[in-house]
Amino acid sequence: MNQLNSSFTETLNNHLVEEGSLIPLLQKAQEQDGYISPEKVAQISEYLKMTESQVYGVASFYSQFRFTPPGEHSISVCLGTACHVNGGETLLNTIGRDLDVRPGESTSDKKFDLKRVACLGCCALAPVVKIDDDIYSKVNVVKLKEIISNYE
Amino acid sequence: MEIIINNKTIEVNRELTVLEAAEENGIYIPKMCAHPELVPYGGCRLCIVEIEGRKGYPTSCTTLVEDGMIVRTDSNILQEMRINLVQLILSEHPSACLLCEDIDGCSLFQETIRKVGVTTGCRWCPKDKDCELQRVVESFGISELSLPGLYRDLPVEKYDPFFDRDYNLCIYCGRCVRICDEYRKSSVLALRQRGKHTTIGPSFDDNHTDAGCEYCGACVSVCPTGAMSEKSRKWWGNPDTYTSSVCPLCSINCEIQVLSLHNKIVGTIPPGNPHETAGELCVKGRFCLSEIVNRTERILEPQFRYPEGYGIVQWDEAIAKGSELLNATLPGRSAVFLSPDLSLEEYQAAKIFSEKVLKTDEITSSRLDSKQIACTKLAFDSVPLEKVKKADLIISFFLNGNYNYGPLTMAVKEAASSNIPYYQIGWIKDTTSRFARHNIIPAPGDEVKILDKIIECLENGTCDNDVIRELSDQLREIGNTVLIVGPWILSLTNFTIILDRIRKIISITGSKLYMPDPYGNLKGMLASVALKPLESVIEKINRGEIDLMYLIGDIPISARKKVKHVFYQSAFPAPEDLIPDVILPSTLWGERGGTWAGKNGSTVMLKQVAKAHDYALSHIEIFTRFASASKVKGANAAIKSKSGKVPVKLKPKMPDEFALASVRTTLVSPGKKLPFVIVQEKSPHVYMNLDLSIGIDGFSELVKPGHVQINVSDAKEMEIKDGDSVHISNARTEKTYQVVARKNIHRGVAYLTILNERSDFKCNPCYVNIRRADV
Repeated sequence: MNQLNSSFTETLNNHLVEEGSLIPLLQKAQEQDGYISPEKVAQISEYLKMTESQVYGVASFYSQFRFTPPGEHSISVCLGTACHVNGGETLLNTIGRDLDVRPGESTSDKKFDLKRVACLGCCALAPVVKIDDDIYSKVNVVKLKEIISNYE
Repeated sequence: MEIIINNKTIEVNRELTVLEAAEENGIYIPKMCAHPELVPYGGCRLCIVEIEGRKGYPTSCTTLVEDGMIVRTDSNILQEMRINLVQLILSEHPSACLLCEDIDGCSLFQETIRKVGVTTGCRWCPKDKDCELQRVVESFGISELSLPGLYRDLPVEKYDPFFDRDYNLCIYCGRCVRICDEYRKSSVLALRQRGKHTTIGPSFDDNHTDAGCEYCGACVSVCPTGAMSEKSRKWWGNPDTYTSSVCPLCSINCEIQVLSLHNKIVGTIPPGNPHETAGELCVKGRFCLSEIVNRTERILEPQFRYPEGYGIVQWDEAIAKGSELLNATLPGRSAVFLSPDLSLEEYQAAKIFSEKVLKTDEITSSRLDSKQIACTKLAFDSVPLEKVKKADLIISFFLNGNYNYGPLTMAVKEAASSNIPYYQIGWIKDTTSRFARHNIIPAPGDEVKILDKIIECLENGTCDNDVIRELSDQLREIGNTVLIVGPWILSLTNFTIILDRIRKIISITGSKLYMPDPYGNLKGMLASVALKPLESVIEKINRGEIDLMYLIGDIPISARKKVKHVFYQSAFPAPEDLIPDVILPSTLWGERGGTWAGKNGSTVMLKQVAKAHDYALSHIEIFTRFASASKVKGANAAIKSKSGKVPVKLKPKMPDEFALASVRTTLVSPGKKLPFVIVQEKSPHVYMNLDLSIGIDGFSELVKPGHVQINVSDAKEMEIKDGDSVHISNARTEKTYQVVARKNIHRGVAYLTILNERSDFKCNPCYVNIRRADV
């Protein structure tokens, strides 16, 4: 942990103390940990002489940043137009209910995290679910349970 | 410039927004997010107007006036659009009462009220009839909501002291976030997330205290709805009287407005329009003052100590029995102790009472020890607060600006955010710390060494520390410097040496000094009465030369055992071990008129605002009654006539410092180096004999006396949680405390507020070990 912190101190020192450094630093923090931790918010705020509230306010505005550690496997459910009309919402709700997780968060055993995405670019295969780097096409609720069980 | 608004020609000579120009000329434009203290935001869009030659409907709060502008504010289309906007706001704001057809009758008789725990409508909202949204909706005459009502169902936040937050009533105008950021420069609140998921608050799950909130109440003042409400006056209803006054809780003596209802003080706010001024008050002036006056633990009737115990007596009997004791005391064998929180009239009366009735000149105050005298002598040379704002370099020494000295910390923040270099030397992170170029956290013993290094650097130019060199260079080069010295130095072991070094820095650099003192009318007390240093009176008491102590809102507890009789005249009960012979209930600030020290040596006359309980008498009245009973000729008349004559300009007379055998002029060794530095501060939050940090519940949650405060990260490393017990030890002392883990403590520092005269650790600051009590 200390090692990680010291490498982040280096990252901090490579940036100017100005408001414009905030987003790049948040991105670096997320790159390092996979999410924005309260400790990183504290470090960034101290370095940039901003308050933690200001840093968190900016970070939470962007859906790019997450505030909980990512799970082992990352499930993305597509809710683009084609996937949406073909039942993407139902898939999202099913996963949420079965794994007890809300979009943007991770399961309590840190096995999965869930997020909704706008389009994965393969609308012909709708509805689409992506787990890690694998894309599953024409998914339905029954198929979905099978797919997820492969990762458990 | 000339512009035309609604066919009316208006002359504008300054840079104004269209909204401001209209308001100055009595033209009403509805608005929710615009606020005179804040940068235009354009969030609510209710102030849209039509401007000839401009596309669409610009918001008047963000549009600057230009010559020849032709503006319409009240066309049908604007009105229709605004109604739609208000409907959008109302769909998320509990609006049942606003649209109810029984609104008129219910305002009077509350015939349709439903008793529920959450605010579902105006009749059950703390801001009822004082709400800006209510006024806007009424101005449109909306009677029906065409959109579905959405209740956000957010939990009501009641866990912080002094104000509650119900964001279900919030309309996201962002005024609270902006006032905290732009005006107070505390930036505690942020708009988190976005769109319909937006919430307001600090980062993650932080509470406000950890986010650096000073509880100044600016957000509560500017909130246009009932989303933010003061706990203490939430259900009182609107005040019937607004009286301008001066806060008696520290030497800055801020102007305030006292809100009262049926002769009872319900709150205090900054001067000006209640919704428009955010003010510079600190938590004490904003929230504590009304709680002090309304405190239920008051002395309710005169009491006399009989051999078999205390008996409640009538005033006449109290005076008669008291006079017996007074008459039996020989001249010069009584001592008077004054609180630095009385009015000038009361000091005058106390002076004559001591002279004529008690026949003594042994008058002092338990706050006026030699350290305080030395400090006060320096403090009287303080520059006016305005000079801090205009300084070119600011250095603060041992300032703890949390929950204190609002105008001072604001002046520092204002200067520092316009690029004035600011350095902070001390152990506590307050709201100014973020603005400091460097925060210097002295190790034990270093608090003197740092000053020595600065002096050496200034005199010889030799310096081995980069930060000190930078600071000294600035001190040498920049002429207009203000040094801020916090009264915390009174609690430090090396006080005498530190004070000496600060004087030296001032004499070398010609810097100016600003030193707040925590007592409301210390200046007035010193100007009215010739006081003796505390130690000289205590020494007399110890020698057995004093038989009677007459205490006026002041308790020198250590002297109790050495005297025969104690008269105790105050509003708040005395500690049990004082055992007074006569207890006399008096009135408080606000319950009687009087003159107080104002800004820069002036005096301010204050009106009586509230009525005290039936058995409390004013100090002056008690003195006169004793004088009449004493049979000293003319004493009664003298008190009555002279107490009316108070100086217009205050010229404080300082008593001589008492030569103490025990004053340390050599550096105290800090002892062996250990992982933590413990710093102790004597609570500066005292009014009369009431310590706010124990007497006011909300305030005690902030200050936490008797608890040791450490940094959250330190606590986490040691696996210590809030409320855990820890042993704190060094070679000499070991003590057990409960822990409060706070973000506003620097790492490696443990902070302790002490209430009594003696500190827990002999050396302050000193090195200590901290370990969990259960390990």
